[in-house]
Amino acid sequence: MEVARRNNIDIPGLCYKKGVEGQGRCRLCLVEVKEGNRRRIVSACVYPIKDGIEVTTTTDEIINMRKDIILMLFLRSPNNEYISSLVKEYNIVIPERYLDKDRKDDCILCGLCVKACQSMGTSAISLVDRGINKKVSTPYDDASKDCIGCGACAEVCPTNAIKMTDENGKRTIWNRTFELIKCSVCGEYFITKEAYDHMENKLDEEKRPICDHCKKKAIAQKFKESFVNIS
Amino acid sequence: MVSRKIYVCCGTGCLANNSYEVYLRLKERLENIPQTEVQTLVKSTGCNGLCEKGPVVKIYPDEISYFKVTVDDVDEIVEKTVLKGEVIDRLLYFDTGLKKRLRSHRDASFYKHQHKLALRNIGEIDPTNIDDYIERGGYKALEKALTMKPEEIIDEVEKSNLRGRGGAGFPTGKKWRSCAGYNDFPKYVVCNGDEGDPGAFMDRSIMEGDPNTVIEGMIICGYAIGAHNGYLYIRDEYELALKNMQKAIDNAKERGYLGKNILNSGFDFDLEIVRGGGAFVCGESSALMASIEGNVGEPRAKYIRSVEKGLWNKPTVLNNVETWANIPLIILNGAEWFKKIGTEGNSGTKVFSLVGKVKNTGLAEIPMGTTLRQLVFDIGGGIINNRPFKAVQTGGPSGGCIPKEYLDISMDFDSLSEIGSMMGSGGVIVMDDTTCIVDVARYYMNFLSEESCGKCTTCREGIKTMLDILTNITQGKGQLEDIDLLLRIGETVQKASLCGLGKSAPNPVLTTIKYFRDEYEEHIINKRCPAGTCKNLTSYYIDHEACIGCGICSKNCPVDAITGKIKEVHVIDESKCIKCGTCFTKCPRDAVKIGGMKVEA
Repeated sequence: MEVARRNNIDIPGLCYKKGVEGQGRCRLCLVEVKEGNRRRIVSACVYPIKDGIEVTTTTDEIINMRKDIILMLFLRSPNNEYISSLVKEYNIVIPERYLDKDRKDDCILCGLCVKACQSMGTSAISLVDRGINKKVSTPYDDASKDCIGCGACAEVCPTNAIKMTDENGKRTIWNRTFELIKCSVCGEYFITKEAYDHMENKLDEEKRPICDHCKKKAIAQKFKESFVNIS
Repeated sequence: MVSRKIYVCCGTGCLANNSYEVYLRLKERLENIPQTEVQTLVKSTGCNGLCEKGPVVKIYPDEISYFKVTVDDVDEIVEKTVLKGEVIDRLLYFDTGLKKRLRSHRDASFYKHQHKLALRNIGEIDPTNIDDYIERGGYKALEKALTMKPEEIIDEVEKSNLRGRGGAGFPTGKKWRSCAGYNDFPKYVVCNGDEGDPGAFMDRSIMEGDPNTVIEGMIICGYAIGAHNGYLYIRDEYELALKNMQKAIDNAKERGYLGKNILNSGFDFDLEIVRGGGAFVCGESSALMASIEGNVGEPRAKYIRSVEKGLWNKPTVLNNVETWANIPLIILNGAEWFKKIGTEGNSGTKVFSLVGKVKNTGLAEIPMGTTLRQLVFDIGGGIINNRPFKAVQTGGPSGGCIPKEYLDISMDFDSLSEIGSMMGSGGVIVMDDTTCIVDVARYYMNFLSEESCGKCTTCREGIKTMLDILTNITQGKGQLEDIDLLLRIGETVQKASLCGLGKSAPNPVLTTIKYFRDEYEEHIINKRCPAGTCKNLTSYYIDHEACIGCGICSKNCPVDAITGKIKEVHVIDESKCIKCGTCFTKCPRDAVKIGGMKVEA
């Protein structure tokens, strides 16, 4: 998958994101691999690439399977904007009788949020239960005391399924409301106190809250200064 | 002086029918008998297989077997049989095929056609007593193996052509050889005891009735591949299996078969039990390993096999309970001996759990290559009430439905997968004409929709979509294009899913459409369920010509919906009828007919 994307070959994938280990959940990245005389269908995001194999990304069989997979996702999340756009893109005919238009579930269980929380946050959320009851949640659906409200989960979600609202200096996510703190430079609210402390412990660098925008500016300033000194 | 041994079956089926009470009562009664007359020994054993007729009590050396024994029978058994060697006729097994009572269970059709390897000791030993196992040749194979070179052991297993009894039939020797080939330590040996197919209980029976044979098989493998640790993953619901296995491990440690420097060979090996959390998917190898590691039980893509990177990313051999039980025999008797049993490419035996609408339900171990007809009609004694045979579902939820046209199929890995079914763990569910095939497919999709791990889209959403469609059909809301949609989605789920569970999940749907398409169409076009299972699509009526007015139907009707004078034609009041089907099965003249959504008469 990484090799394909690096070479501008498009393989669709909802549960794949650069920097996150492949998961093989959404099944959209199926490709056909020919190794010697053996042909088989594999998911590109978890298949270990090696020399000498021949990969086809768009056979009729694969396109049809992708269509069916998008159809299945649409039946799950009929009101999701992104999935609907895929349905249009692939010209998929929907068997209306099996469509429950009132279904509100946007989550397609790609698991990216869980991975993001593992690496960026505190493993506050996980995939719970199994089969059709599977979902992403905090332990016992309670407001998690581990969550730091960093929002990494909402950031990586391909279908915008994780509700995060920032209002009046407060952020609400996963049934919990956090106080936001302001950027010491521009004065805008940008991070929760908990996430700031977490990052500070992890990185041990800036000792004052500073938002991404101002951080960029500061770095540019430093760069400029060092450049001036050299010349 | 005469000495008699009395074996009381305390397998799960018999226990449920109070066999432990029978055992205690026998013990109590025999303690009060002066041992100068008759020397006695009472043992509780594992499952004898014929669970339908339990509790089973066997008396040796007379070879007298009693079935359906109750606590009240104990006094008579002690007085007549134990003390005097007399046979109590009414407790003997009545063989419906031979139409007579049999003194020894060995003569019964159910047992006569069997060939017990994996089940060799079960019912003949007390599973909690390691000496019983040793007395019947137990741990002799381990002694022999420890004098062999590891490669020689692998050679022997490979030559035997033993294939994994868990379902897929992967050659065991090949698995061991590739694992032994990786120079990465530590390695692990794992036993899959997470038997979860509805209606399957062969592994349970082995773990409960002969736990030492599994342990012995695993130690031999550990020695052959260079592993020093093993895990037994046993589902938590199997309380007795967990108890007996733990006891066996403890005893084996005491005797020096497990632990450091086994039998002074310098080889160390230890075993630990991991209790499964009750998820069907954890029977899948990579999900099972994830579960042992303490992670969520989800499978991973197996482009790198677990023999290379398995448990904790280390080379691992995982085999099923029944496979392990075969290992000591192969080492002891040699590959050539083992290959003589079964067919070429499918050597040895397979334990099947025979359930459903068959007279003798229970566990049957038969040589590979035995036909389905022999299994259902000779061993199983045919269909209950002699109704017509319709189909069998083999291999649990991942298997397929086999129609009567294939009754003469050889029961082995290759023949079964050729016709779209699979061996699976060996569950055989027999169906008669009152089983609705669409409802069977719906049942399995319902089971799998809850038991899929839910990781990948095709398995999770695909199964749910198929379930929705099948539910519609069974409720009379189906349309003809639904069959095509089922086929299309089924095929995608089969090809695109991540693990074996997803890849095989559509089998029940695809095979039932393949072999019983007309029954699907009958549901959709005529809104009628020919088996009378789908209540929305069923009505009962009485054929005026055939009714003899015997009144049996009205007498048996639980809601008094049938009226009619004796010797006159009876009528069913549809507004009262709850469609239980009692009249249909009770009518001696088959005059009660199954109609569709509307009454046809």
